[in-house]
Amino acid sequence: MKHMLSIARLTKRYGENLLFDLLDFKLDAASAYVLTGMNGAGKSTLLRVLAGLAPADAEGVHFAGEAVALAPYPATLRREIVYVHQHPVMFSTSVAGNIGYGLKARGMASAAAASLVEEAMHWAGVQHLRSSQPATLSGGEKQRVALARAKVLHPRLLLLDEPTASLDGEAREQVLALIPSLTQSGSTVVMACHDRDLINLPNVRRLKLRDGQLEEK
Amino acid sequence: MGLADAVRGAFGLLVNGDPVLWRIVWVSVSTSVLGLLIATPFAVAGGYAIAMTQFPGRRVVIWLVQAALSLPTVLIGLLLYMMLSRHGPMGGLQWLFSQPGIVAGQVVIALPALLAFTLAAVQAADPRFAETAIAHGASPWRVMSTLLYEVRFGVMAAIISGFGRVISEVGCAMMVGGNIAGETRTITTAIALETSKGEFAQGIALGVVLVTIALAMNGAMMVLQGDAHAARGRG
Repeated sequence: MKHMLSIARLTKRYGENLLFDLLDFKLDAASAYVLTGMNGAGKSTLLRVLAGLAPADAEGVHFAGEAVALAPYPATLRREIVYVHQHPVMFSTSVAGNIGYGLKARGMASAAAASLVEEAMHWAGVQHLRSSQPATLSGGEKQRVALARAKVLHPRLLLLDEPTASLDGEAREQVLALIPSLTQSGSTVVMACHDRDLINLPNVRRLKLRDGQLEEK
Repeated sequence: MGLADAVRGAFGLLVNGDPVLWRIVWVSVSTSVLGLLIATPFAVAGGYAIAMTQFPGRRVVIWLVQAALSLPTVLIGLLLYMMLSRHGPMGGLQWLFSQPGIVAGQVVIALPALLAFTLAAVQAADPRFAETAIAHGASPWRVMSTLLYEVRFGVMAAIISGFGRVISEVGCAMMVGGNIAGETRTITTAIALETSKGEFAQGIALGVVLVTIALAMNGAMMVLQGDAHAARGRG
């Protein structure tokens, strides 16, 4: 299976205004992409559409070789596609509880989930925050917990909306350090971003959204 | 009886555990709590559903719920009286002038308040909570439980506010309950009756109980709000 996701035509409008009209949109399996474009080009909206959080008109959608529809968004895609906000929110539970949220939602047994959560906390370097409440976390720590919360689910398609935006200094470096292992995890990863360090990562393909069209650079 | 004598008499009734007075308090509290227990699941689920879904006529539903908040309880009592009276559509239940009748009234009074406050709490929640739950594969029920937990302080405030509304209303309890001593006499109907007879001591004693309940409820709400502020923490 070469393409993880293919959509013959994907159109998003706000009223009369066309945001994008993508023909033959394809994402390859186990590949990493950065999605660039001016502010307002529709990068975040495209990710939200793919995650089923925003409606759009889609024709000829195939996911992992299976024909699917985006509306209503199927439960199978909910389990295979994970989206991380630019400014992630933390649920009112511990850091470990946050990271295990999706596993619990999938009905995984506590013992099995606990070991995966432990592994994810080590990966994100937040094991010392295991029992911390979200209110005590900094922006960078929240972003790392959010990445661990997504990674622990091993999604086939991981959508990251500006993962380093609004971070600076050490917090940004810590998040940046996690990205290469995400892109090599076997998932297809799409990152909307402006960050030069993300755009210039090796083995990452560059997509640019401009004037409602998508081009690979 | 002068005011000072009435107040002295009132505290005497309270301190000496006057059985008539405490029976009235028990009827009030038990019917209010039961009414609230029945209304809360429907109101919370309804408030969540209205907040989270778009459907034709949604704004009309919200308008009607908010308008219901302003309905005088005596009018709700009148409507229930007609429904529960012998020839009314629910006359067969024989709830008129009984505690179940009062509970039915409390449910009708509490529903719009609980629903409106829950709706407001869910609407005010950061939409990223629901989106994050959805984007991590949560079922609709889990999304609902997650979001309601995130707005739990607002929902608790709704329940406390609903309790305050039902325990302090007089019109519906008077019309549907009939103010029968030992059976359907509540704090508010007893105060109205005793005052009309010029017997202020019991009215003042019951008023003290009502004010104490109001203070306890609002104190609990302040504690919850304090916890909510503490939970926000740093960004």
